[in-house]
Amino acid sequence: MNTPITRRGVLIGAVASATVAATNGTRVFAGEPTIHEVQIKKFKFKPKHITVKVGDVIRWTNTDLAPHTATAKEFGWDTEEIAKGESKDVLVSATMETQYFCAFHPQMKGVIEIE
Amino acid sequence: MTNLISAIAVMSALFVSQASAQDVADLNDLEMAHVAYTADNIDIRYAHLALALSTNPDIHVFANTMISDHTAVNEAALGLLDKLGASAQDNFFSQALNEGAEQIIDDFSKLRGAEFDVAYATNELAYHQTVNDLVENVMIPNIDNEEVRALFKQGLDIFKVHEGHAEMMVEALNQ
Repeated sequence: MNTPITRRGVLIGAVASATVAATNGTRVFAGEPTIHEVQIKKFKFKPKHITVKVGDVIRWTNTDLAPHTATAKEFGWDTEEIAKGESKDVLVSATMETQYFCAFHPQMKGVIEIE
Repeated sequence: MTNLISAIAVMSALFVSQASAQDVADLNDLEMAHVAYTADNIDIRYAHLALALSTNPDIHVFANTMISDHTAVNEAALGLLDKLGASAQDNFFSQALNEGAEQIIDDFSKLRGAEFDVAYATNELAYHQTVNDLVENVMIPNIDNEEVRALFKQGLDIFKVHEGHAEMMVEALNQ
């Protein structure tokens, strides 16, 4: 059965297309990059594994007292120090390294999967 | 030289345990804050010595982490004390820690190369094991102020990670 198109339905559709909620991230307006939030809490990246697309942004936020970093395994990219309460962003590129760790605490590891 | 390295590690634990016999549990919150601040500063001093004397990249990573983490904890402690309008109070245990550290630094400074690396890593493991045990089982249960206790718990979370990191470092150096 077809749903009749109403003025209200069109408006909701327009808002929905401008406000995209991705599976693993959020995007406020169409055309803006999807932001994937990774919390750093109790010496762990949460979530440890994220799935992203080229052009998305990964945002690490440190809730620990200790400073941390998100640093590519082979040092191809690096947020540099993220102090308590701070956030740092990295733009996803097709060739970026997908395994990363904290340069201060090497046992902290995370994985980025690029679709 | 191996005996000296072992002696330094034993000494590190001994200075703490001797002092702990004098009932650390009876220290007030401001004295315990002083102990924590002192213990942080001692580890920062060890780390600076390691950066100066070691050429091992793993030792440098660990030492830089000790500097950044213990500095962050101390800044948080000073911020909390400022908020509470209080100052940390010197006490016998802080003095014992400093006395032990002076001797250990003096001994460290005589070592070079792999011998220094092993001594530093071994001491870091022993130091964190001993201090963590004391913080968790003697100090935290006896802190009155909730905010001070919460900060000690946050610090302990960090220091336990250091203990694990030091353990891995010791294992790698002894392979």
